[in-house]
Amino acid sequence: MTTILKVEGLVKAYTGGTLALKGIDLTVEEGEFIAVIGPSGAGKSTLLRSINRLIEPTEGTVAFLGEVMNSNSKRSLRRWRAQIGMIFQHYNLVNRSSVLENVLHGRLGYMSPLAGVLGRYSEEDKQAAVDLLTKVGLGNEVFKRADELSGGQMQRVGISRAIMQQPKLILADEPIASLDPKSSSVVMDTIYENCRSRGIACLVNLHQVEVAKKYATRIVGIKGGAKVFDGSPEELTEEMIYDIYQGKEHEMHAQASGE
Amino acid sequence: MQQETSFQAYPSSKLEKTGKPSGKKIRVGHRKTQLQNRLFFAAAAVLFLVCVSFLDLSWEQFTNGLSSIPNIASKVMTISFDALPDLTDGMLTSIIIAFLTVVISVVLSILLAFLIAENITPVKWAGRVLRYILLVIRTVPTTIWVLLAVASMGFGSMAGVLGLIFPTSSYLIKSFAAQIEESGDETIEAMRAVGASWLQIVFKGLLPGLLLPFLAIVSFRFEMEVAETVMLGMVGAGGIGVLLQDYISYYEFADLALGIIIVFVTIFAVELISNRVRSRLARR
Ligand SMILES: Nc1ncnc2c1ncn2[C@@H]1O[C@H](COP(=O)(O)OP(=O)(O)O)[C@@H](O)[C@H]1O
Ligand SMILES: [Mg+2]
Repeated sequence: MTTILKVEGLVKAYTGGTLALKGIDLTVEEGEFIAVIGPSGAGKSTLLRSINRLIEPTEGTVAFLGEVMNSNSKRSLRRWRAQIGMIFQHYNLVNRSSVLENVLHGRLGYMSPLAGVLGRYSEEDKQAAVDLLTKVGLGNEVFKRADELSGGQMQRVGISRAIMQQPKLILADEPIASLDPKSSSVVMDTIYENCRSRGIACLVNLHQVEVAKKYATRIVGIKGGAKVFDGSPEELTEEMIYDIYQGKEHEMHAQASGE
Repeated sequence: MQQETSFQAYPSSKLEKTGKPSGKKIRVGHRKTQLQNRLFFAAAAVLFLVCVSFLDLSWEQFTNGLSSIPNIASKVMTISFDALPDLTDGMLTSIIIAFLTVVISVVLSILLAFLIAENITPVKWAGRVLRYILLVIRTVPTTIWVLLAVASMGFGSMAGVLGLIFPTSSYLIKSFAAQIEESGDETIEAMRAVGASWLQIVFKGLLPGLLLPFLAIVSFRFEMEVAETVMLGMVGAGGIGVLLQDYISYYEFADLALGIIIVFVTIFAVELISNRVRSRLARR
């Protein structure tokens, strides 16, 4: 098994003093599907964004495929990010562009800046994008504008964009927090099946424990910026869960949060 | 949805337990906000009175001026159509000056706006410096810019366009940047995450959603620009303003009347069209 990601001693202090991460260690092996659970404000989003450096961590290292990442060179940063897909709570699509174009954005990191600006996607990429959309059940939506879709459909576009990057790792930040239960399970299934069949490792932030237990091969519990649990779903006892969510028990089962 | 149902169930059970409030009226407003509002109006009133006393307004001059209005009005009432060709020509020139100014300014402004928008600026300090330069440009009145252009290029439309480009670009850059800051954050995050470069983020991520808002800003500015060119013609920037200035200097009130009507109709039409364009855009 190859190690995809090795996070060591990750600390993030926001300007203003909030210590969002207090030294997190985390290793992700090939093919793992890891759920990161914890109450809101625990630091889950900060952790994910520090991995692909949307947020610059204060201390600690993140090694991706054995290479320690930094933000010194824009070009290497683009190369690393191109290999790490990301899925967002609010989908973060370009609303006025077509569904197909949104999926093709997943290729931008591999293209020269000018080719990207001019939208010179290769025919293979276009075909792959159409196939991917068909596979996630959006075959009839390919040429619609992104903002014409429902939330669940938008999230499947977001997933397709991430898959289109042919990533080694996918980071998903609360992918179902804005969705109804039915779309939620479609979206989780889509993420899970694609990652498994393509051998993509996945780190997914969730605050619903049941969902985490249903899909994850491993669960990581975060509380107040520190890792308090790291083990298999079976090892996650009720006491453990109550400890992680202490004082915020209502969030454990919350379906659609209004965040 | 769930919250609504629980909210409806709340008052009947809870109010009975706590009983009725004891005769005292319940405050609705937010105390600090109310205080701030009162302070604001009090300060404004005081400031107004100070200003009135400062200006040393003379009641006599005011009544004299009022009494001469009918005289001038009657002169203006006698409309003459002799100057119609000149005036339409001048009005057209004014519109063209406004149009050229806006087009050139848009070209200058679009990329610069992405340079100063806080959420996408590629070089923070350069964006900051540019912001201050724009601030300086805006604090110099448009008339001064046109006069400077006239001084260096001589009277005429060229001076008008050149002089107006400064304040217009500065306005457009600021408005565009505000729009970028308001609408971009989540898209920018996603585009950075796929490894897109700055230009790719701007062109593929941001511009598609910004074109319509930008068009609305441009149409609004064009409307202002037409009114502005008419006025600035009077200081030598070309267009219909030059004619109006002449008519006033030589007391040719009959021609002036026609000029005013033409300006009124034109500005009214431009405003109507640009409003129509904006409401169309808003519905897209
Ligand atoms: N941009 C920011 N600036 C300052 N503090 C932040 C910022 N983003 C998050 N925080 C703080 O960091 C802590 C962790 O936040 P976050 O990572 O969003 O938690 P989670 O995703 O688990 O809800 C919270 O206390 C939050 O208020
Ligand atoms: Mg979060």
